[in-house]
Amino acid sequence: MIHVRKLRKSYQDLQSGAFTALDGISFDAMPGQVYGLLGPNGAGKTTALRILSTVLRPTSGTAIINGFDVNESPEKIRHQIGFVSTNTAIYDRMTAWELVQYFGRLYGMDDDNLQIRMEHLFERFQMNDIRNVLGSKMSTGMKQKVSIARAIIHDPPVLIFDEATSGLDILVAREVLRTVEQLADQGKCVIFSSHIMTEVRRLCHRIAIMSHGRILAEGSIEDISQEFRENDIEELFYQIISKHEQEQQRSVLSG
Amino acid sequence: MKWSNVKLIFSREMRDQMRDRRTLFTVAVLPLILYPLMGMAMLQVSQFMREHPTDIWIVGAENLPESPALVVDGEINSKFANEKDQRLMQLVASQEDDREFKSLIQSFKENSKAHGSHLIDQLLDQQMASRNVDLAVVIPSVINSPRVVGADNGQREPPKIYIFHNSAKDKSKIAAQRFSDVIAAWQKTFVTDVLHENNVPQTLIRGVDVTNTDVADKAGVSAAMWSKILPFIVMIWSLTGAFYPAIDLCAGEKERGTFETLLSSPAQRSEIAIGKLMTVISFSMATALLNLLSMAVTGLFVYSRLTGGMEGLSMGPPPVSAILWLVIALIPISGLFSAVALAAAAFARSSKEGQYYLVPLMMISMPLMMIPMLPAAKLDLGTSLIPVSGLMLLLRGLIEGQYEQSLQFFAPVCGVTLVCCWLSVRWVIYQFNSETVLFRASERFGVGAWVKQIASQRSELPSVGNALLCCIMILVLSFFVSFSLGGVPDSFMSFAKVSIAQLVTTVLVPALFMAVMLSKNPWKSLRLNPCSVPIACAAVIMAICFHPLFMVFRELVMVVYPLTGDMTGFESAFENIMAGAPGVWAILLVMAILPAVIEELAFRGFILSGLESLKNKWQAIAIASLFFGLSHSIIQQSVITGVVGIILGIIAVQTRSILPCILYHATHNSLTVLLSQAQSHHVDGSPFLSRILQSPEDVGYEYNIVATVVMGVLAIGLLFWLIKFPPAEKAKKSEGPVAKDLETLGHQTAEA
Repeated sequence: MIHVRKLRKSYQDLQSGAFTALDGISFDAMPGQVYGLLGPNGAGKTTALRILSTVLRPTSGTAIINGFDVNESPEKIRHQIGFVSTNTAIYDRMTAWELVQYFGRLYGMDDDNLQIRMEHLFERFQMNDIRNVLGSKMSTGMKQKVSIARAIIHDPPVLIFDEATSGLDILVAREVLRTVEQLADQGKCVIFSSHIMTEVRRLCHRIAIMSHGRILAEGSIEDISQEFRENDIEELFYQIISKHEQEQQRSVLSG
Repeated sequence: MKWSNVKLIFSREMRDQMRDRRTLFTVAVLPLILYPLMGMAMLQVSQFMREHPTDIWIVGAENLPESPALVVDGEINSKFANEKDQRLMQLVASQEDDREFKSLIQSFKENSKAHGSHLIDQLLDQQMASRNVDLAVVIPSVINSPRVVGADNGQREPPKIYIFHNSAKDKSKIAAQRFSDVIAAWQKTFVTDVLHENNVPQTLIRGVDVTNTDVADKAGVSAAMWSKILPFIVMIWSLTGAFYPAIDLCAGEKERGTFETLLSSPAQRSEIAIGKLMTVISFSMATALLNLLSMAVTGLFVYSRLTGGMEGLSMGPPPVSAILWLVIALIPISGLFSAVALAAAAFARSSKEGQYYLVPLMMISMPLMMIPMLPAAKLDLGTSLIPVSGLMLLLRGLIEGQYEQSLQFFAPVCGVTLVCCWLSVRWVIYQFNSETVLFRASERFGVGAWVKQIASQRSELPSVGNALLCCIMILVLSFFVSFSLGGVPDSFMSFAKVSIAQLVTTVLVPALFMAVMLSKNPWKSLRLNPCSVPIACAAVIMAICFHPLFMVFRELVMVVYPLTGDMTGFESAFENIMAGAPGVWAILLVMAILPAVIEELAFRGFILSGLESLKNKWQAIAIASLFFGLSHSIIQQSVITGVVGIILGIIAVQTRSILPCILYHATHNSLTVLLSQAQSHHVDGSPFLSRILQSPEDVGYEYNIVATVVMGVLAIGLLFWLIKFPPAEKAKKSEGPVAKDLETLGHQTAEA
């Protein structure tokens, strides 16, 4: 479903010069799977997900999503994905209903299907009370619900969640996680980035641990645990990242 | 592009903006309340200016004649001021026993020439301040009655009246204005009485009666005034009205995080850009129209109140046709300003940063809006080609009803405006497609880190930024050096020294310095690659063949932008300097060969190499030519050299060497010099020259039409051949696989 090969992204920065955010990452994610991207801040998770959602173009390498290449058919890919992130805010001066309807129309849905789908989603996420509430009047939880409804209005086969639970209270976060589980159960391919290890253990079938734009470990949580002989995922994450940091420092010192 | 998506985005943005109280306030509420409030304030100020009484201190009032009496019962004589003015001019009685007053009169009596001296002025200023008066009128000596003056038959010096006011104080200026009207009326009566006493007819002193009649009808006067104000108001408000929604739609969305949501939707970047642009245009137009309406209504009301009762100052409402033309012109004006504002706003990371861009945008637009307000500005081919200014002048002509003259330039104005609109829309779409613009991180700029980066990460060739920096350096240096070098040189040698020094310091040094500092391969950056003999010959032939066409183009430019009187004077001074040259070779060296070498190293060498990183050779050539044109200080020269720069750019890009460019440039310059120096014995002595040149008015030579056409066709053919079959590509192909492998190996070794 998602095949990422040698994906690389570099930027020019006025202060530090050329900066490589992604350094040739590769992974595969299948339908019905939740694929977790883990890493500290600045590891390159958001850049990778922005490339998968075609918001950014890769410097080199490729990603095939549901048969379409991010370099060649970004427009077609946008119909195949739903993107939710901490940054994907909702419009302050639009009601929940207007916002979901707007994106449904942008996805090319006809009015009848859109109406049925919206009724279903508003019922499913218990959002009927906030149909006519403006974005600026919504709580963070409400906003994230609307954001998810917006992302899945066109029933895409691929969903991308970029730290979607960050800043949410436990009740709303749980609801988001339940939604992700349900979506995977429906056969969707879900990419889920987070640095909350309990969420990752609960949701993800496979994970990739990233740091400095590279994948340091990749596979099922069990396989990685066995490889590093560590069952606690938080400890496992810490060991892999700190080992990489030390290697980096050594290579800098040795010139 | 799917227009259904554009429509969807447009309607969403419109609804969003209509729900934004700040936007609504700026667009609708502000114009509706601002002008009435301003009008009210103006009325109050004018009322203050008019109604506020002023105190006038008359020193030596007893010296005034009894008839005609200026002061009656401590007030201005009603014969010389209307009742209102009489009331507003309060006379301050002078005290007979005041010592300072007496000394003041004494000083005037003793030395009337002392008036104007610093000490008397100072004394009066102190006296006026201490007495709290706005005006002092000093009558130092007795003014005899007209009967007595008449009896003297004008033998004696006329008596003097001194009026002192303080121009730094508004009240004092008003008092001076009021009193000068009174004193003029009094003086006229005095003179009339004197003439009457001497039995001299009144008509004798008038000499000639001059009648000045304004033939403009009321509507014409009104239209002329509106034609100056309304286009300016429309322009300024369409820019302001575009800017705030543009910031909210781009920088605001980035700030709120909704932009990424939209970018991940199936809407293409161009659809998003156009949808947002249409919204900004709508708000820009609405702001301009509402301001126009509110200002016109308030202005009319205030003006009628201010000028009520004063003949010749009444102003009618703006003609209906004016409003119609303004509404039509508002579409491209708003389109242009909205696109520029949106592109600038797309660059901003936050609303706050976006607002910083308003000032530079205004600074660039204001001169273009102010040019048509100048009294001498008129619509001609030259001004019609200036963006914004041309449109304003066209509007002015149309509002004034000069349809015939205005419609002559309708096509160039529309053409330029549409090209500007198209370019700015392309810019917006480019901005929306650029990741570096949309996801600009908050980068901290450190000079040290930047220099280190430049030193450590020099690439083979300069970057676009390096090229643009070089262009800006050349322009800035040229500006300062041209000012520091002073006026016209007096001899050929000093002209040669100044020209060479100017070229070296402003063009050569920045280009060489930057090529060495900013690129790993200065040789390649300056495009100092060898070229084959046939290519070199082709460049020279092309320069010769293009020359007649350029001379025609030069004539056209001179018609569109004629030389001013100063420039014509400079031209004749320049001819005199050239006459003092040791020989034609010296002129060719200074004016043809050296500029060709230096300018090519900079513009087709370093700058074009850097601009080629744009990956669009035509864009690179256009930008390099634009700056090449701008580096010449005279507008006529800038236009001509800009076009020559395009041909030179094509040669440079297609041959990958500046040597043919130098040859072309030197040949072109040399031919221009030689043609200007051509004498009849040169031409008559050469069968070839006499066939291609003619001297229509026996003043200088020009190419005849046959030569121009034949050589022009040949030149264009050569240029197309160069574009179609670039020698650089051939050279690359002939290098073959071995050369390519070596190149790859070289890169790999460099990377390792």
